Amino acid sequence: MIIMIRTLLARLVALALPAVLLPSAAWAHGVKLEYQVTQAIQITAAYDTGEPMDNAQVVVFSPTDPSQPWLTGTTDQQGRFTFTPDSTQPGTWEVQVRQAGHGDILAIPIEGEAATPGSTTSGAADTVTEAPATVAPAASGPSYTALQQGLLVGSVVWGCVGTAFFFARPKK
Amino acid sequence: MHLPDGLLPAPVCIAGFAVTGLTTWYSLKQINRFSNPTESIPKASLLTAAFFVASSIHIPIPPASVHLILNGLMGTLLGYYAFPAVLIGLFLQAVVFGHGGLTTLGVNAAMMGIPALLAYHLFGWSQRATRHWSTNWSLGSSAFLAGAVGLGLAVLVFLTLTLSFLPAGLDANLERAAILGLALAHIPLMLIEGAFTAILVLFLNRVKPQLLKQT
Repeated sequence: MIIMIRTLLARLVALALPAVLLPSAAWAHGVKLEYQVTQAIQITAAYDTGEPMDNAQVVVFSPTDPSQPWLTGTTDQQGRFTFTPDSTQPGTWEVQVRQAGHGDILAIPIEGEAATPGSTTSGAADTVTEAPATVAPAASGPSYTALQQGLLVGSVVWGCVGTAFFFARPKK
Repeated sequence: MHLPDGLLPAPVCIAGFAVTGLTTWYSLKQINRFSNPTESIPKASLLTAAFFVASSIHIPIPPASVHLILNGLMGTLLGYYAFPAVLIGLFLQAVVFGHGGLTTLGVNAAMMGIPALLAYHLFGWSQRATRHWSTNWSLGSSAFLAGAVGLGLAVLVFLTLTLSFLPAGLDANLERAAILGLALAHIPLMLIEGAFTAILVLFLNRVKPQLLKQT
């Protein structure tokens, strides 16, 4: 809506008042759009069956105040949730994903500096600044290959079977 | 249905360990009173393996996907051995699969193990109550009841714990609806586990009836 008004005003200015220069501050409805490119973090939540956790609740805690939620939201149909951490607060950001008593906590280390915001006013040159924060993709919980997992399960089962054999051996 | 790390307040986790510690001590004391306490260890060990693997067998029950728990079955077949067996099985599940967690091991063991012990007693009472029925009917119905009720009680404890300790910052209504949905999905699972317990008990009664006797 605001964008539409701005366009209308721009047209008015262009058509009716081509010769009159008005200071932009005189326009009470003047709109300033700003943007900045920052680094966003995308969480993908799935059950260990591979099924995405859709509509799961996400709570983000900032490093400076780990007891109060900094942001809350829900994952989309694919179990994804994207948020932009405040790069002035470097440290470990904690993301909790939870659905029906199931969930996990992901700790994301963010070492960043304040991103210089790039802003545009109508017609001005665009400045794009990228936040130099660095985050390596990571996952919570054990992530083994199918072979490793199979071997682990096999070892545990064989341990149980071995225990059973040991206690079932014939008494002398 | 395992409670993971970090979603319950610390006092609840500590209380869980306390309850689990006491119940383990009580179970071991009861086991020690048997004439030969090691006699049932092979059976307990094999069922621990079954319990450990069962949690990775997923059954899709719309809208949720649930996995076998088998705590009622453990209680029915193992009696007092069930509690240590559940505790060991849960520890291995937490470490190998990441199901549940080490801080919530106590809570999870109490949540699944105590209903297992109750299922064992229920199995005995129900068999005495139905002793004028034919052996197969009495055994089968008692095992079904024990298997289903053992799981049902665990789901009730899960429901109570997750609903009482909703963490701050969550949309409580949405989470409550999700928890209730998951609990409802466990009603068909109760029937499945009850039927499985009954089939196994009837089968054991035919091929090796001494396995059903508590020493």
